[in-house]
Amino acid sequence: MFDIIIRSATQRKVRSGLTVSGIALGIFALVVMGAMSENFNQTFENSMSLTSDKIRVFAESGMFGGGLTDDKVPDVKRVPGVKDAYGILLTTFDEDQMGMSGKQIFALPPEKSRIALDPVKLKAGRFLEPGDTYQILVGTSIAGEYDLQIGSKLEIHDKNFTVIGILEYTGSFFDSTAAIPLETAQDIYNLEHSLSTIFAVPEEGIDSDILAKRIELNVKGTSTLSPRELQEQASQSLLIFSVITISSALLAAIIGGLSVMNTMLMSVTERTREFGILRAMGAETKDILLITLGEAALLGIIGGLLGIGIGSAAVYLINLWLAGKGIILFAITQRLLVVALLFATVIGTISGLYPAYRATKMSPMEALRYG
Amino acid sequence: MDDIILDVRDISKIYMQGKIPVNALHDVTFYVKKGEFVSIMGPSGSGKSTLMGIVGCLEKPTAGKVIIDGIEVTSVSDGQLPRIRREKIGFVFQHYNLLNSLTALGNVELAMRFSKVSRQERVERAETLLKKLGLGDRLNHRPTELSGGEQQRVSIARAMANWPAIILADEPTGEVDSKTRDAIVETFKLLKSRGQTIIVVTHDPDVAKHCDRVLRIVDGTVVDSD
Ligand SMILES: Nc1ncnc2c1ncn2[C@@H]1O[C@H](COP(=O)(O)OP(=O)(O)O)[C@@H](O)[C@H]1O
Ligand SMILES: [Mg+2]
Repeated sequence: MFDIIIRSATQRKVRSGLTVSGIALGIFALVVMGAMSENFNQTFENSMSLTSDKIRVFAESGMFGGGLTDDKVPDVKRVPGVKDAYGILLTTFDEDQMGMSGKQIFALPPEKSRIALDPVKLKAGRFLEPGDTYQILVGTSIAGEYDLQIGSKLEIHDKNFTVIGILEYTGSFFDSTAAIPLETAQDIYNLEHSLSTIFAVPEEGIDSDILAKRIELNVKGTSTLSPRELQEQASQSLLIFSVITISSALLAAIIGGLSVMNTMLMSVTERTREFGILRAMGAETKDILLITLGEAALLGIIGGLLGIGIGSAAVYLINLWLAGKGIILFAITQRLLVVALLFATVIGTISGLYPAYRATKMSPMEALRYG
Repeated sequence: MDDIILDVRDISKIYMQGKIPVNALHDVTFYVKKGEFVSIMGPSGSGKSTLMGIVGCLEKPTAGKVIIDGIEVTSVSDGQLPRIRREKIGFVFQHYNLLNSLTALGNVELAMRFSKVSRQERVERAETLLKKLGLGDRLNHRPTELSGGEQQRVSIARAMANWPAIILADEPTGEVDSKTRDAIVETFKLLKSRGQTIIVVTHDPDVAKHCDRVLRIVDGTVVDSD
């Protein structure tokens, strides 16, 4: 029956073409939006797995409320079960872009840079060391965008820094991170003694959830996020993001599906006599269903493949273009492609159900009566 | 009596046109023997196509029985009808009704697809039939590339494809010139000579004169059979 399906679809080239374009457009949106959401997922997962061992300690008033100061670090460190603790100051890398690029500056005591970034490795150079001041350690995206080598100069907040280390690619936020010594940062930003957060490393065998609560109880004016809480919080916002992007894309694809239904209804009505002839020749209901649903599914599959092709190409090009700016926005994953193609096929087939049903209801007498 | 292949008893068919009943057929009774070449004649609107539709299992009569090859097809379930159509009936239509998207071979072969004949056998049988009907050099032509007479012979080949018990032809020469008509009649006679039962609806006495028997139908009923 496959040849009949193909012939029927190719006989009405313009209409089939338009329908396929409708589906392709929807799937294109699905692929692009999906790739964006996949990228966020991946970055998030990579980031989580790289920082899963640390408890974050904030000021009770929240991360940006200020109020967390250097003197809390020894208090946190004194809590039984805490192996190590150090302060971090987070600021945006591109002040003129107001942090839109997602790049950040991670200011930390230089001697902690190795363990704070662990298990991220160096591609070149060294970690920060005690005594460093205007030295900077950069992630691959930043290094790529500003074409940085070891020894290159980089201007941050009107101050010149020397690149002493470049991190390996991680697929996480570390790629868009630059690390500088904490005191230097506090100095140039005029944030003496201020911290954004304190990282607390639990001792071996200590439950981080319990330890996080213990820190809150022991150190006045702090609140904590255990790795598990952080994960939960982040995956929630991630989920919302996914739902918004994917559902807008789904809407586009469903509109494509409606165009399949419209095409198939027209096609079935036009072919009233053809179905009559097939029935007079002894076609079973399932043969008619196969022909009509097959055509609808085919339109869906072709539209899907087209949408995936164009979507992937677009994503690839945008990624290529953004890579120069050190941004990765999209990730095309295998599961995304499989879902997109399946969805196109299912949309096509579902849209063909009603037209197919109509086709089976056509009387074989049509073949005899009307010429 | 066992050489009777079609037995039609007291058939009537009432169509509803809105709320008005239209008596298309009433009290139609006749039979056709195996291998007979029978024509049905009658004025337009007399119920000929309705009768062909009922005999061809395309629709059911309001009352009465049709027995084809020993099967009472009027009491067969809807689910079984496609099989009966495939195995017992071959239709030839006035307007050929070939699928324009398929070649001559494809159209004939299509008739066998619904009955699970292997692809190879379908093509072989379709080729043999088309060659026998003088279309050996037209196998891969589309209907639009064929003359009316050629198209009608393709549709006869299609009707023959499953070796049906009866061929039903509704005004098969209605749209062709006299030469083509003669060729079509010759084709039917060829099939008859091989034992095929054929029922032809026609207005044309030059077609009817080649038949073994003529059934005349007026106002929905058979008035005379000779
Ligand atoms: N679906 C239908 N609804 C109502 N009346 C019909 C229908 N089909 C046929 N008829 C009527 O039945 C009568 C017989 O029609 P038909 O069998 O086509 O005649 P013929 O083939 O002899 O010209 C005509 O009066 C026609 O108008
Ligand atoms: Mg008629």
